[in-house]
Amino acid sequence: MPEKLLEVSNLRTYFFTEAGVVKALDGMSLEVNKGQAVGLVGESGSGKSVTAQSVLRIVPRPGRIVHGSIKFEGEDLLSKSDDDMRKLRGPKMAIVFQDPTTSLNPVFTVEKQLTDILMLHRDLTKEAASKRALSLLEHVGIQEPEKRLKAYPHELSGGMKQRIAIARALSCEPVLLFADEPTTNLDVTIQAQVLELLKQLQKELNMTMVMITHDMGIIADMTERVTVLYAGKVMEVADTPTLFHSPKHPYTEALLKAVPSVKQTRALEVIPGNIPNLIEPPSGCVFNPRCKYAKDICTKQEPPLEKVEEGHYVACHFWRELTLEGRAG
Amino acid sequence: MSESRPKRGASQWAVAWRRFRRNKSGLLGGAIVIFFVFVALVGPFVVAYPARSYLSLYEGDAGTPPSFKHPFGVEDSGIDVFSETVNAAHNDLYVGLAATLITTLIGVLVGACAGYFKGVVSDVLLGVIQMFFVIPVLLLILLFARVFSVLVFKGLGLTLIVLILAFFGWSGIAFIVRGETFRLKEMEFVQAARSLGAGSYRLLFRHIVPNILSPVIVIATLNIAGFILTEVVVSFLGFGDPNTSTWGLLLNEGFGYVRTSWWVSLFPGLAVVFCVLGFNLMGDGLSDALNPRLRE
Repeated sequence: MPEKLLEVSNLRTYFFTEAGVVKALDGMSLEVNKGQAVGLVGESGSGKSVTAQSVLRIVPRPGRIVHGSIKFEGEDLLSKSDDDMRKLRGPKMAIVFQDPTTSLNPVFTVEKQLTDILMLHRDLTKEAASKRALSLLEHVGIQEPEKRLKAYPHELSGGMKQRIAIARALSCEPVLLFADEPTTNLDVTIQAQVLELLKQLQKELNMTMVMITHDMGIIADMTERVTVLYAGKVMEVADTPTLFHSPKHPYTEALLKAVPSVKQTRALEVIPGNIPNLIEPPSGCVFNPRCKYAKDICTKQEPPLEKVEEGHYVACHFWRELTLEGRAG
Repeated sequence: MSESRPKRGASQWAVAWRRFRRNKSGLLGGAIVIFFVFVALVGPFVVAYPARSYLSLYEGDAGTPPSFKHPFGVEDSGIDVFSETVNAAHNDLYVGLAATLITTLIGVLVGACAGYFKGVVSDVLLGVIQMFFVIPVLLLILLFARVFSVLVFKGLGLTLIVLILAFFGWSGIAFIVRGETFRLKEMEFVQAARSLGAGSYRLLFRHIVPNILSPVIVIATLNIAGFILTEVVVSFLGFGDPNTSTWGLLLNEGFGYVRTSWWVSLFPGLAVVFCVLGFNLMGDGLSDALNPRLRE
């Protein structure tokens, strides 16, 4: 019986800016079982990163969680004090950020990046922490780690920095890891290596991982289950193979069509338009302005999340009527 | 994955030192500072006459111009100007360095808190910083020196000046630190540290402050010069401690006799000029060395 590790229900995270209230997450739900690799996919601005920030409760001002519930290991996270949350951040949950150039402290050596967190959460002496830092570096595949300990981030390549960021996130052995677009800023060749590393680490440590990305290719490669997010709302949730073979939401179909493949001969289909203004989102279905199947009802009524079959949910008025194109293989 | 192994240090200090080494005026300033520090430390033990000593009067040399025995001449009162200048170096540098140390600590502390915390705390601290910023420190020192003249005559004159400078002189650093903290607290490495469990004080003092030391060091260096000058002015105006050797005091004593006993004013004056020049040049050099916007 799979154990639910993380249960996010109807989460609303709003940013109260001078320009208006930005509804970054507007009724978002997510369920992750222990040991699963789950994907959270959507364009930039869909609320993917804000989800991770909300779970860890580090949403930057002027953002605030205004509604919903977040349960982790059965416990309600929203009722916890900041002191209690700080005990969870690191030992229980962690985030790997997108850009290792900015997510590593520029005046800390590689060693200090790791020992700083280790000594915060674990009762270790400096020597013990250094030893552990060394073994962490080996673990993430860094060659000659002893030589790297005293290096500064600006001396290292992007791939190396990201490995260190991963080592840092994993240093206190969290059970839940959010990987927020970990390879977007890296060269393509390095991307593959880092993803391979994450896959391997996830298996080794039996870690639960939420892979946040806009790249359907990464979803296909890394995840067993995926949630499609758009403008802070869930469009579709399914097991990864199901989502790829038989998507039920127009946005998912469009995302799949936008991924180039070596074999294809037709032109790349882009999704017209831009993500909506989150201060004043479109009425009805939030995707309707860009949806090629949109009808009148789509502008008036927000579609509820409906069950297609066990484990597959979609928020679209016409999922029964539409025959959407998935991807084979 | 092959990387060129760095043979030289890559910390912000190592990088800055290499840049500083190439700056001729900065090095000159540094040399001058080192010279004065050496004189301040060693000088008092080496010179012929102890502080404020009228011995030369009894030797019959009072009021004599520079000579082999008295390189900077002798005051009418019998004080040997050379020994006095060297002794004063000790006290003036003490004032400059001590006041700078204290004001830097207070400034960093207040500025960091003002820049990091939001709401009432930040607003109140900003108000406090601004209030102290506009206060004319020099006038206050003169005032306090009169009011607390009892202390002055008990020999605590220097300490009094240091305390007043420290109490009122930290707002410049606080302003800069506040601005830098503001900028840095939104950076991703701070978010990353927070995501791994760091609390406010850890984020502020272990993560943010080490990243804002560069401008602080530059301002502190320039402050040393500024505080020394302030002391000189205070003592020159007669508000200082008449029992403690300072360059300002010498200038005060020599003021009435500039035409005749010019050596009493010239040499301490030159000492002040070079000392302040040294710190300013070094400060400028440090600014260039630590400023990340300049390209190698």
